[in-house]
Amino acid sequence: MQFTSPLTGAAATLARQYGETLARLPATVHAFILVELAKWPLLFAPEQRYQRALLEHLSRTPPHELEQAVAGIARIEAESGVARLSEHDPARFQDASQALLRTRGLFVGWRGEVDAFFQTIDPSLEAALYPADAPRRLVVQIYGSGIGVQRDRLWKPFKGMGVRVPLDLEGAGTTEGFLRQLAGEVEAGRGAPALFTRTIDSPLDGWIVESDAALHAVYGAATPAALTGLSYSRLRPYRDDLTRALYHKVQDGVDSPQAFAAYARSLRIVPPAGTLLNPADILLAFVRDVLITGNGTLLVNNTFVEWAAIQALRRAQPRILITRFGVRDKLKPFSSMVLFSQPRPTDHVPIAQDPAGSFIDVEQLSYYIWLNAEKNPAYRSRTLYLFLAEDVDEMLAIRSDAPAAAPRRATAARLADVRATMARWLDAPAVQGSGQPIAEVIG
Amino acid sequence: MSNSAMMLRRREALRVLAACMADWWLPRQLFAQRTSAARPRDRRVIVVTFGGGVRYEDTLAREGWVNIPHLASDIVPQGLVYPAARHEGLTGHFNSTGALVTGTRQNVDAYGSEPPVTPTIFEMFRKERGLPPEEAWLIATNKSFGLMGGSRLRSFGDPYSANVVLPKQMLISTVKAAVSTNAGPGVEDRRALAERMMVALDEGYEGFGWRVYESNRVLSADVKASLAKSLLAYFNDPASPTSGDELTFFMAKEIMNRFAPSLLVVNFWDIDIAHYGAYSLYLEAIRRTDRLVHELWQHVQASPQYRDRTTLLVVPEMGRDSDVAGNGFANHRSGDESCRRVWLVAVGAGVPKGAGTERPIRTLDVAPTVADMLGFKMVECEGKALAELT
Repeated sequence: MQFTSPLTGAAATLARQYGETLARLPATVHAFILVELAKWPLLFAPEQRYQRALLEHLSRTPPHELEQAVAGIARIEAESGVARLSEHDPARFQDASQALLRTRGLFVGWRGEVDAFFQTIDPSLEAALYPADAPRRLVVQIYGSGIGVQRDRLWKPFKGMGVRVPLDLEGAGTTEGFLRQLAGEVEAGRGAPALFTRTIDSPLDGWIVESDAALHAVYGAATPAALTGLSYSRLRPYRDDLTRALYHKVQDGVDSPQAFAAYARSLRIVPPAGTLLNPADILLAFVRDVLITGNGTLLVNNTFVEWAAIQALRRAQPRILITRFGVRDKLKPFSSMVLFSQPRPTDHVPIAQDPAGSFIDVEQLSYYIWLNAEKNPAYRSRTLYLFLAEDVDEMLAIRSDAPAAAPRRATAARLADVRATMARWLDAPAVQGSGQPIAEVIG
Repeated sequence: MSNSAMMLRRREALRVLAACMADWWLPRQLFAQRTSAARPRDRRVIVVTFGGGVRYEDTLAREGWVNIPHLASDIVPQGLVYPAARHEGLTGHFNSTGALVTGTRQNVDAYGSEPPVTPTIFEMFRKERGLPPEEAWLIATNKSFGLMGGSRLRSFGDPYSANVVLPKQMLISTVKAAVSTNAGPGVEDRRALAERMMVALDEGYEGFGWRVYESNRVLSADVKASLAKSLLAYFNDPASPTSGDELTFFMAKEIMNRFAPSLLVVNFWDIDIAHYGAYSLYLEAIRRTDRLVHELWQHVQASPQYRDRTTLLVVPEMGRDSDVAGNGFANHRSGDESCRRVWLVAVGAGVPKGAGTERPIRTLDVAPTVADMLGFKMVECEGKALAELT
């Protein structure tokens, strides 16, 4: 299949350099790579590295081996008629081929073959991209104040894992106080607490993702920010604009979900100035994708936090990620029936919070963030996960290199000790402050 | 089936129950007893789907019983459970329910622009038995299900299709109309919403994706009266229900009362709120579906036209993604085993009481089983009638 793809810059160079290799691939894989390359300026560095490594690996694979490795995909393409499609635009070819595979009942089989193909090559790519001595990483998940935590069920999905550490929360009576004690004050002139500034090389390497704006207020107030931050509440004007545009489209009529998705992708609405800590183009595209492609991310605060965090882990692979969940509002009567509409001023149904439901939600969502991180070779075996709830004097710590359950620590640790533990884990002793690393976590 | 074979089957059922189910599920009788089945011409079958899909672990697995208390403690002990059912084929809503009502995997447009490609139970039932439209109904939610009542085959299709009503679509249209202008009452005014829906009925329900076929009994007038009554019941209910499934339930009851169809498929749908990513809302919807299934079964028991001659089949449309291999409860696109592993509960006429079998079955088997119960044959069908129920 000859594709015509309007690539520029590094992507065009790669496509030319590896043109022969690409031509040997089944059309669906070829198109997939070209579609990824077309997004080049909006790919995060780890994504670009992956594409380079993939092409390099495929080019080094002897032709007969490559042919064998993709034989299953090629067979289904031939059987389905995908190989005979005449569409030359890679993105449109992708849509057409998937529709054809579905119509012919071959989509599941094709997908299995594609998965099998990447499973054979990913170990080699991972070894190259994520060496064993790569820096350690940190993921902190915080349940915000007001969530109806049930102590006896807290972090139940992680039963049998990690170490529970009792906490002494003296002096951390408010959210602000809690967060300040946990990660420290913003360093003068550096735009973020030292925990970040001494451990990351760029704002894209340290992310805060939250339901409300507490993390932003405490860790990312300075401009230009040293961090990447996404806040569901700060994004409200942007969410409202997107919602309005989508609702109008729904009212005008939509042919199919694909057409709706294409319309959503075509929207050129951007968040108002000051909404994002780091308003780089790549993040404007990222947040739009999170809000448009994530189920419920436009509508439910904690779903936004989870999906944004998972996408950040998968795509940007930050060294430090801190999430903070909040209390979800109860759905208003009939609200699920007017998905993208906004309530009229005259519909005076008061907003009510759902602390109990929020707890059930965030238990599952924080687990999904952990699961997705551990699926990712960038995090597997080199990440410390900390789980905290602002109103709870206990923490769960899981080291991905030693996840098995350990006895609960006997004595309470201070939040300053937690900070020192994070600093030690990230090999930034200067950040420790007055705390002492927790031996049960650090070893 | 020989006596010895039946005994083995019963022993097997009890063993499965003992192994898979809680003690409180175990039947009091030593052996399951098959209830008498009405003759096919008197027989009625109701199929209820947990539309949207549920995961085994959130429902029939031990940790899920808390979410289906009525099924677990009231219905399963009276009926037969297949804990190892499987959905095959595409894991989209239209194609999975399409497979249920045809007994054949469907690979049509996922969003309902095409009807099933093989005959549905509704068409086979009506054609073979020469029955009028009011004998077969599908009460569903998703607008794409408007074409679920009949296939595209020339010798079948509209003349033999089911009546399809999508109560929630009418509700959606009404609520949207209410919030689209700043004039007039909004969603907080239930009476106003009810009145709007009455007007909508008069103006034509086809706009909501419904397909209601007329017969000699001037069905449309009957249907309108019936649906209007169910709307009033819904809006006047003391519990002030707001979910689409509650309206589906009220309409199902009213259609049963007025037309007593022999074949009724009810597709509850609130569970699909899982796509919002809020686990608590998904579990809440499962519990609501469980309650509505129980209330529907109670309605069957209270109705002279249905009591003792009705078999109820309850089955999830499909599963949802697993946490580890898939994308979690919020989706059903991974195609992993969690998306496919479901269960089936049968209760009522002709169903052994307090039984279960670990024998693997497929959701494709539902259609031929229904056909067998109602005395017609499914052609072009991949599924096999479930021997324990026929």
